Parts: sequence; C-alpha cells; structure tokens
Amino acid sequence: MKSGRPHAPLTPWVFLAPYLAGFTLFFAWPLVRSLVLATEQTYGPKVTVYVGLLNFRSILGDPMFWTAVGNTALFTACSLLVQVPVALGLALLLNRPDIRGRRFFRLAFFSPSIVGLAFVAIIFGLLLEKRTGLVNTSLHTLLPAWDPDFPWRENYVMISLVGSTLWLSAGFYMVYFLAALQNVPRELLDAASIDGAGSWQRFRHVTLPEIRPVLNIIVLLVITGSFQLFELPYVLYNDTYGSGPENRALTVVTYLYRTGFHSGDLGYASAIGWVLTLFLVGFALVHRHLTRREET
Amino acid sequence: MLRFQSFGLVLVTVLAAVSTTLVLLQPVEPQDGLQYWTFDRSHAQVASAAAANWNPRHPDLPVRVTTLTGPTLLTRMLSGFYSDTPVGDMIEVERGQIGQVFAGPVQDIGFVDLTDRIDRDGLRAAINAPSLSPWSLHGRNYGLPHDVHPTMLLYRSDLVEAAGIDVRQIETWDDYFRVMRPLFRDHDGDGRPDTYLLNTSPTNMGAHEVMLLQAGGGMFDAAGQPVLNSEINVRTVARMVVWMAGPNRMTADAPVSGPSAIKLAGEGYMLAFLAPDWFAGAIKKELPNLAGKLKFMPLPAWERGGRRTSVLGGTMVGITKACRQPDEAWAFIKHLYFAPETARRLYATFCIVSPIKSNWSLACYDEPDPYFSGQPVGRLFLNLAGDVPERIPSPFYASATTVLSAAIVGSCRHVDRHGITDPAAVEPEVRRRLDAAQAELLGIMQRNVFVAGRAP
Amino acid sequence: MLRRLANVLLYGLLIFFAVLTLVPFAYMVCGALKSKYDFAASLFLPAGGGWLGVGWDRLTLANFARLFTELGLPRALHNSILLASVSSILTVLCCAMGGYALAKHRFRGRDTVMGVVLSALIIPGPLLLAPSFQLLYNLDLLDTYTGLILPGLAPAFGVFLFRQAMLNSVPDELLEAARMDGAGEIRIFFELVLPLVRPMLGAFLMISFMGTWNNFISPQIILQSPELHPLSVALNNLKGLYGTDYGVIMAGTIVSIAPVMCLFLLLQKEFISGLTSGAVKG
Repeated sequence: MKSGRPHAPLTPWVFLAPYLAGFTLFFAWPLVRSLVLATEQTYGPKVTVYVGLLNFRSILGDPMFWTAVGNTALFTACSLLVQVPVALGLALLLNRPDIRGRRFFRLAFFSPSIVGLAFVAIIFGLLLEKRTGLVNTSLHTLLPAWDPDFPWRENYVMISLVGSTLWLSAGFYMVYFLAALQNVPRELLDAASIDGAGSWQRFRHVTLPEIRPVLNIIVLLVITGSFQLFELPYVLYNDTYGSGPENRALTVVTYLYRTGFHSGDLGYASAIGWVLTLFLVGFALVHRHLTRREET
Repeated sequence: MLRFQSFGLVLVTVLAAVSTTLVLLQPVEPQDGLQYWTFDRSHAQVASAAAANWNPRHPDLPVRVTTLTGPTLLTRMLSGFYSDTPVGDMIEVERGQIGQVFAGPVQDIGFVDLTDRIDRDGLRAAINAPSLSPWSLHGRNYGLPHDVHPTMLLYRSDLVEAAGIDVRQIETWDDYFRVMRPLFRDHDGDGRPDTYLLNTSPTNMGAHEVMLLQAGGGMFDAAGQPVLNSEINVRTVARMVVWMAGPNRMTADAPVSGPSAIKLAGEGYMLAFLAPDWFAGAIKKELPNLAGKLKFMPLPAWERGGRRTSVLGGTMVGITKACRQPDEAWAFIKHLYFAPETARRLYATFCIVSPIKSNWSLACYDEPDPYFSGQPVGRLFLNLAGDVPERIPSPFYASATTVLSAAIVGSCRHVDRHGITDPAAVEPEVRRRLDAAQAELLGIMQRNVFVAGRAP
Repeated sequence: MLRRLANVLLYGLLIFFAVLTLVPFAYMVCGALKSKYDFAASLFLPAGGGWLGVGWDRLTLANFARLFTELGLPRALHNSILLASVSSILTVLCCAMGGYALAKHRFRGRDTVMGVVLSALIIPGPLLLAPSFQLLYNLDLLDTYTGLILPGLAPAFGVFLFRQAMLNSVPDELLEAARMDGAGEIRIFFELVLPLVRPMLGAFLMISFMGTWNNFISPQIILQSPELHPLSVALNNLKGLYGTDYGVIMAGTIVSIAPVMCLFLLLQKEFISGLTSGAVKG
C-alpha cells in the first residue's frame, strides 16, 4: 500500500496510544499474570501459594472439568448444527427478489439479538418455567401426556440451552448471510438456470461457493462463541449457580467463574482459562487448515 | 463539525453527558451506620422491624438492611472477603453457602470469631446445642443461629382420614409406605398416578440430606473428613432409591409456590411433605386451599426406636472483619436474634421456631393453628428441637453435594433400568457409586493446599 | 398454480418463523400487564367480556409502578445508560484512532502492532477474568465505574474493524490534499476521516453500546455496591428475590430491553449497513 509523503513519525503512535495503553495494561499484563497465576493456588487476590504444575495436573483428573468440557462440546456441536442452517435458511427465504415485507421480516428475525444473554436467560427462564411457563403449558395442552416439569428435568437442559441460543442469534447470522447472498452475481444464477440447473443445484454449485468466505467466518464465530457460553446457563440455572440438574448445564467458563469467584481460587481458574485457550487456538488452526485446503 | 457525524454518535454523546452530569449532581447517599445483608425478603422484614426498634436509640449508628439474592450475596460477600472491597458489617449466610467462607486459611476467614463473646455473655447454654454446629469450625463459632428448622412429616389428614388410615400405626418409613400404599393410585385412569406419597425425587438433594441426616449418615464426620460411602449412607440410599425410581416409584416433586401449586394441591397431587418449620410457613401462605386439610406427625424413623426428626436449611448471622464497630454490631445481632419479639414475629409470620431456649416458653407456640387442623405447631416442632442432628460445615460442602447427588441419580437410573424394587438388590450398585463419589471428593479436597495442611 | 402454492408456502414459513421469534416478546408484554392471579389463568391476555373476548379492564400498570417505586429500578436504569453511553463513545474513539493509524499511516512497527491486534483476537476473554480482577484489586479500582470501563476501552476487534473500514473507504488522495492545505492531523481525523467511515462508526457504536448494556459478568464481579449496579445485575437480583412475581420480572425485563431496542430502531440503517459492509468486504 502506498501512503503519501512522510509525515511526523510520531503521529501514528499518538493515534495508537489509547489502544496500546489499554492493551498493555488490561490485556498483555493480565495475560502474563494469568501464566503466573496458573502455577499458584489462591484465596482471592490477596492470599497466594506457589504450587507449580499442580493445577494443570488436577484439571486433567478433575471429573467436574471434563463434565463441563463434555457439555460445552455438545452445546457447540448442537449450536453449529442448528444455528447455521436455520440462519442460512432464513436468509435464503428472504433473498427472493420479489419478496414483500423483507424489511419487516429482517427486523423481526434480528430483534432478539439486541437483547443480551443475561436478559435472554430471564425471558427464557420465564418461558420455560416448570408448569406455568408458556412452553410447558402449550406443550401440555397439545400433548396431554407431556410432563410439564420440562426444563428442570435433566434431559431437556441441552435442548433449552440450544433453543434459547438459537432464538438469540439466528437472526444475527442471518443478516450476514443475507448480505453475502445479495452479493452473489445474478448473471451467474441466471446462466445456471438457462443451463437447466434446479434450485438445489444452483444453490450447491453457484450460491454456496460464492458465500463460502462468510460461511467459514460464521462457523468459526459460532464455535468460539459457543465454547465460551456462560451467562445463559448461569442465569437460567441460577439456583444451582449455573450447573443445572445433574451438572448438565455446567460449561467450561461457568466452571472457571465458579472456581475463581465462588471458591476464590484464581489460580485454578487461570489454569482452566489456559486449557480453554488451547482448545480455541486448536479450533482456529484446524479451521484455517480446512478452509485453506478448500480454497486451493 | 456535528453535521458530519452520525446521528447515533450525537445521540449517545448527549446521553453520556446527561447521565454523567446527573450522577455528579446526585447527592452521595449516606453510607454511615451498620450494614445488614440478608438473602431473603422475609428475613429482611424481621431485621428491619428490629432495626426500626434499634435505630431511634442509636441515632449515630443506625442499622440499614439490604436484601440480595443468594448467589449475588455469595459473590459480593466473598468478593469483599477476598479483596477488601466494601462488604456488609453483619451478613446472614445460608447453610449451603457457609462452606465457601471456610475455604481459605483460617486467619483469612472473613467473619469475626464470636466464640469468646458467646461465652463471655453466657449465651452458650441459652442456644439449642445442635443449632450452633453448622456455623462452627474446629470448635470456634463464627455466627449466631437464626433457627432450628426441625423437620416433620406434613400429611393430608383429609385424604388419610377419609381412607380410614390411622397414622399411629406408622413408626418407620417402611410402615409409612406400606400403610399409605392404598392412597397411591391413578384416579382418572390415564395411566399416571394422581397422588404421590412423598415430595422427593432423584435430583432433590435437600430431601436426600434430610433423610441421610435423620438416619445418622451425612457427608462429613466431626473432623471434617468426608464419609460419603459410610455403611449407613449405603443402606439408607439403597432404601431411598427404590421409592424414587423403578416400578415401585411412589414419590415426586411438587411445587408449593406459584399458581400451579394451588391447582395441584386442590387435586391432591401430594400426600405428604418433608416439612421443616419454615416449610409450614411457606405452605400456609402459598396454599390457602389446604386450610384444615393438613396435620403434622414426627418423621417416620429408619429403624424402630430411631430418630423421629431431621433438619433442612438454616441461617446464621455473623460480623465481618470489615466491620469497624464490632461491639455495636454484636449488641444488635443479640438484640435481633434473642429478643422474644423476634421469636414471636418469626413464628407468627413464617412458623419458624427460635433456637433460643428462653423463648421456648412463649405462649404463641401452644396456640392451636386452624390451618393445620388445630395442632399447636410450634410446640410440636420445639419438642423435636433437641433431637435435631448436628451438621458439620465444610469448605467442600458444595462439591460433596454435587458428587453425592450424581451418585444418587445414577443409582436411580440403575433402579429404573433393571426394574429393581428390593433395596438389598441395589445395594452393591449404590456402594460402588458412593465409593466413587468419595474418591472424587477426596481428590478435590487434596487439591486445596490451604485446607489439606490444616490440623483437624 | 404451482407458483402460487410455492409463494403461499414461502410466506407461510416466513410468518411462522416470525411469529416464533416474536412470541416471547408478546408473552412478556402481556405478562407484564397482568396481575399475579390473571397470570396463571391465561397464556397471553386475560379472558373477559371486552373486545375480542379479552378482559381489557383487568390489565394493569401496577407491575411497572412497583418497579419504579419500591423496587428502585430507576437507579439501575440510570447506571446502565451512563455505563453504556460513556464507554461506547470512548471505545469508538479509541478504536477509530487505532484503526486509522494502522490503515493510513506507514511507520516502523506497524506490522508488529497489526500482529498483536490479530493475535489478541484469538485469546478468549474468560482467560483474563481472574488476573484482571487481581489487577483491578491492586490498582484499587474494584467497585468503581472506572474499573469497569477502562479494561474494555480498546478491544482488538474494534481496531481491526475500523482498520478494514478505513482501508476501504478513506482514499489516500483526500488525506494528501488535506495535508497539502496544511490541515492538522487531529483535524483531518475528526473532519475528514470519521465522516467517511460513518456506517462503521454507527455500527460499532451500537455494538459496544449493546455489549456494555448487556454485560453481566464484569459488573457482577467488579461492582460491589448495589447502588452502582446496572440493569443486567439488578434484574437478575430481582428475579431471585421476586421469582414468583412473574409480572414484575417481565415488566423489569421490558424496561431493561426497551431503551436499547429504541436506540436500535433509530440507528437500524447505519447499524446493518456497517455490520454487513465489514463482513462482505472483510
């Protein structure tokens, strides 16, 4: 990139100063500290004891941690399988040129994403309330055999979490898909039609390759976002501090939060944070590898 | 310059300016006096009433009551203990949360050690002995008990009497389920039972703890060591799980608050409840349609001649180390917890009986309660107060609850899968699961260098 | 005929999903207007003798009245507005400045800084939760708004977005011309650069406003005094204490999401165009 005549060499640093200051103090420094903390056991920030690699060894043998990993992985897989197709499907429905009321529908689908996770949890807490909530009363009216104790039964925990998240974020991703779909050249689609391609073939061979970059980004966003799920189960199952019946709602970040701020062990929490980071960096690398290969 | 900028930026800038100005203009609220934190609205009412009585006499040190939800109170309290941020001077702590307070080094416990004050003021003998145990670590007391919470069986006397059943023939749990069995049936023929015999279920950990404590089991021994796989726990759990699962399942969870609870109560969904005194207060308030249809009896024992009561829940109040006027705070909490007015108000509003023995002679406890078919409910509970099992607090209470609950739920699954009805048949499975739970808990405990190195 | 059927199916599906999406809101609004007893009796609006068989006269604003009088929600509302507006303005400014430097200036170390920004994108926030708490403790910033606002001021994500936007929509020639005319760097930034990235400005403002408004974890950890609490924390507390007063909780949720909804409706166009321009071109 070309960038004009040389000007005062300090100028860019002045513009960068707020970011760099914030980064150093509230990102780089805590990052270094978290490495140190991961080798300590603490009782709040005041009381710390060096324990070496004990935290990491404990994590490997900590059944609660692996329960949390299992739940989080299951949630991530479910979200990916449900959210991406629904978001893409809605975008495809809305992308027809002759559709009426597109602005209304787009706003309607998008509106939940304005509401934060903590509020979603409250709304869904009420919707899923056993016996009195809308979901249970409706299902019970439709199917008299339905047990209205619904979300507190351990088998429905994951369905509740995935459903609430779907409601929250499908519209958000839909907006991205819609923008990408509108950039698919019409000529390509028309040409495919003339060649006698059906709508599925047009989607498979024209639309999908065109929106692939956006699809890839959204897949990565859903994976990393889902793996850090915390507020929703924490508020939805607040009476059990976010673990839900039989720990079915316990996620990695909930466990991190609880060890750090309920048990006061910031060291163990940091160690969990590093394991989480390893997972996420791993996902990102695999994702990059896969998308690279696709492109070539 | 404004015309170049986005409308949103302008709008939000205005919002920022206005709200900041408002905050700057807002008078700083007085933070003087003693802060009293509690996690329950009804507790707050009682504390506020006592404060209203106290404040005119202490104009320079008034007590201010704040109510926070359980999890929020826990987060704030611990955050205050960990990092010296503002925290209440007196805090009420619920039984399930006290363990966290004891998780660090002993010298870093956030509450003031009240042992010497209790002895100096001669209060030890005045307090129901088992009620002090959940708030004490290695013989030191960190709080005053708010309650006793003895537990009885609250049953639908209307249904039982209509069936011609005499509850006097019930002495043990086995008797109970045998005698009541005729009432457990499907009235409308839809294939689902319409009346369950007891409000417990595989995930109802509160009920499990009531049962285990009553039987003489529990999670920790007097030295704070875990005893999840004790013989008594194995036998008790094996007997419990065949009521809660499998072909002989006779229990369920029933809500006691909220709109649907009234409907279910009217339909006779639940025959009997494990009922501590506070539960009596709650049901009286929430289910007016059960007036005159309920009676209490002591809990059926596990063995003939066994303990006829247990305990569920409980609260203490402690003084935090952040408190700058501990003497005044001590005077207030004594005033609050020991006063006959508090005892009377707790009983009148919530049916909760006092842990202070001098209050036990209050006449209100003997008044027949028409809601409970004319029984003198307070006296019935107080007769059992001395028998309430002791409870040992532990920093690992939450972990113990989690692993124990998983073991019980797992055993229930096993019972479901194999259609087991005989406790003896499920015992090996229960033992295996409780052994695993014990091992897991020991692993968690060994990780904590602060507590592992502490002399028992 | 077939075409018509397909159309009916298409609109049917869209309407079905739209209803599914909007029902929670409708349920909430109806619930907030009902008394505790009507709540159990009816799913949406209470039955009665009025128009459409609805008991309009039984709707009540009592739940809202309670929120604003005895339950002290105005304070939390005010706190949320303060936090969200101040921190989103400052964040937008910091990120735009950083993005501008990275997009439109050539200097030694630029690639290093860019590398730092990109790698910061991968680090998950929860990893920093514990050490940040310790840091705020050491800086004596716990239980202050400063402690809540400062750490979030310059997210790498925002710097990255602004860099992309400036690469795309700020022509170098324009900057050159302005410099020739002797305009100062600060003036160029505010009067020339910012207006050119207006969609991104609006979108990122909205993103950070919503982010702060909806933030639950940090205030829960950092703010100790109840009078500092924003709505997200206050409402969760309310839910715990008044759990069975469904009407009050629903009214509280409406009060909590209404302001940010209104802001969104006002900024909708800017927001969606900024959001998607970044996605498609980025």
